[in-house]
Amino acid sequence: MSEPLLKLDGLCAGYLGQDVVHDVSLSVAEGEAVAVIGSNGAGKTTMLRAVCGLMPPSRGSVYFDGTDIAGDKAHRVSRSGVVYVPAERHLFPQMSVKENLILGAYPKRPPSSQLDQVFDLFPRLKERESQHAGTMSGGEQQMLAVGRALMAAPRVLMLDEPTTGLSPLLASEAYNALAELRNAGLTILVAEQQVPLALGLADRGYVLDHGRIGLTGTADDLRNDPGVRKAYLGV
Amino acid sequence: MTAVIMDGIVLGLQFGILGVGLTLVYGLGGVLNLAHGQMAVAGAMVISRLTDGGMGTFLAVAIGIVAVGLLGMVIDLTLMKAVYGEEGEGRTLLGLLLMLGVGFIIDGVLEWRYPIEALTLRVAGDPIDILGVSMRRGSLVASAIILLVGALLVAFFRLTTFGRATRSVIQDENGARLVGVNPSVVRTSIFALSGILGGIVAVTRAMTTPVGSTDGIELTIFALIVAVVGGLGSVSGAFLAGILLGIVSTVSAFYIGSYITTIILLVVCAVTIVIRPSGLLGVRS
Ligand SMILES: Nc1ncnc2c1ncn2[C@@H]1O[C@H](COP(=O)(O)OP(=O)(O)OP(=O)(O)O)[C@@H](O)[C@H]1O
Ligand SMILES: [Mg+2]
Repeated sequence: MSEPLLKLDGLCAGYLGQDVVHDVSLSVAEGEAVAVIGSNGAGKTTMLRAVCGLMPPSRGSVYFDGTDIAGDKAHRVSRSGVVYVPAERHLFPQMSVKENLILGAYPKRPPSSQLDQVFDLFPRLKERESQHAGTMSGGEQQMLAVGRALMAAPRVLMLDEPTTGLSPLLASEAYNALAELRNAGLTILVAEQQVPLALGLADRGYVLDHGRIGLTGTADDLRNDPGVRKAYLGV
Repeated sequence: MTAVIMDGIVLGLQFGILGVGLTLVYGLGGVLNLAHGQMAVAGAMVISRLTDGGMGTFLAVAIGIVAVGLLGMVIDLTLMKAVYGEEGEGRTLLGLLLMLGVGFIIDGVLEWRYPIEALTLRVAGDPIDILGVSMRRGSLVASAIILLVGALLVAFFRLTTFGRATRSVIQDENGARLVGVNPSVVRTSIFALSGILGGIVAVTRAMTTPVGSTDGIELTIFALIVAVVGGLGSVSGAFLAGILLGIVSTVSAFYIGSYITTIILLVVCAVTIVIRPSGLLGVRS
C-alpha cells in the first residue's frame, strides 16, 4: 500500500498547557475524502488548527507527502499544499470576491483560467465578483471560502464544519460542491457535526470523542454502527 | 479665503501622508508608533547635516529618506519582535510604550546634539498663480510630490500582489496566514515603508516651513490625530482626514489664531471618536 498523503501520528494539542486533543492518529490517502465527526467541544477545530499551523501541536507528527510539517507556520503549510477552510471563514471583508480569490493563489498571481474554474463550480461567485466579501450572505461566504482555498491548487483541502451558519438546503448544496471536487480527484479532510452529510461525502471516517479517536471505519460502517447512530444520527 | 483653503490643502496633504505612515503600522500589528514624527525629524537632520557637509541636495534627500526607512525596519526586527509575541491589549500597550521610549530617545539625542538645527529646502522660482492665489513654488512642488506618492501608494495597495497581501493582514491576519501570507515579512516591510513616508513628510515639509530638530513630537501628535479621524488602518481615510484637518487648521489659524489650532484639531479628533469611533473610513469596527 502506498503512503498516505496526509498522516497524523500521535498528535496532541491544546490551550495553556492543557491538551484537548490527545494522541490522534489518522491518515488520508491521495484522492480520498475523510470525515472526522464529533460533537461540540470534541476537539475537531483544535486538531485542524494544529495541522494547518494556526497553532503549534504540543506533541506528535503531521506527515504530508512524507515530510513532517508539524509545527510549521500556517503560511508555510498553506504554500506546501495543505489548505484549510476554517468554520469562521476568515475572508477579507473589505475586498471584492475577485480579490479574495486572487489572494487565494498567493504568492502567485493566478491566470484568469484558474478563476474561471472556481466560477464554474460556484457561478454565484461570478455574479458577485465585485461585491465586498463582508456584505455577502453566509452561503455565499462559504462558497468564497472554499473557492479561495481552491485558488491555492491544494493537494489536501481541510474544512472545519463547512455547514456553519447555513440552512439545511444550503448545507447540502455545500456538500454537493465538495462531492464534485472529490469526484474530480481532490483529497479532502472534513470535520463535521452534521454526521449524515459528512458520511455522505466521505469514503472513511473517524469519530473524535473528548479529544481521542474512538471509532474508525468506512462511511458505511460508521453509518450502521449502533453507537454512532445513537449519538450522532438520533436513531 | 481661497488662499487660506489652498494653504490648508498644502498642509493637509502633508498631514495625510504623515497619518498614512502611522495608520499602516497600526493596522498591521496594532502598534501605535509614537515615534513616527521623531523618526521623520531624524531624517530631516540627516539631510541637513549632509547638505551642510557639502553633499548635493538630491543625494542627501535620498539618503535621509532611506535612513528613516532602515530605522523603521531595524525597529521592527528588534523591539517589535517582543511586541508581536503578545496579543490583544498587551500588544497595543507594549508597542505604544516602546515606541514612546524610542521617540524620547530620538528627541533627546537631537536636542542634545543639534539644538538649533533646522532643515529648509528652498525651491527656486517665482510664485505661480492658481485660482487667483499666488502659490509659492515650494508648496506646489511639495504637494505634487505627495500626490504622486499617494497615487503610487494606491496603485501599490490595489494592484500589486504584495500590496494586496498587506491589506489582507490588516483585514484578517489569520485569513492572510491561511492563504500563504507571512505577516512578519509584511509588517517589517511596511514599517520600513512607513519610515520612508516619514522621511518624505520631513522633506516636503521642509519645502514649506523649516523642520526643527525638536519638531518630532508635534508631528507625531498630528499623525495620531489624522490617523484616528481617518480611521486607524485606512490609507484613503488618512489622506481624506489629512486634507480636512489641514483646512480646519489654516482656517482656524487665520480667523482665531495659530495658538488655537492644535486644540481645535484635538477637539475634532475627540468628536470623531464619539460620533464615529471607527473614523471616516475605518477598517476595524
Ligand atoms: N482558545 C481556546 N482556549 C481555551 N480552550 C479552548 C479554546 N478553544 C477551544 N477550547 C476548548 O477545547 C476543547 C475543544 O474545542 P474545539 O473547538 O476544538 O472543539 P470542536 O470539536 O471544534 O467543537 P465544535 O463542534 O463546537 O466546533 C473545548 O473544550 C473548548 O472549550
Ligand atoms: Mg469547531
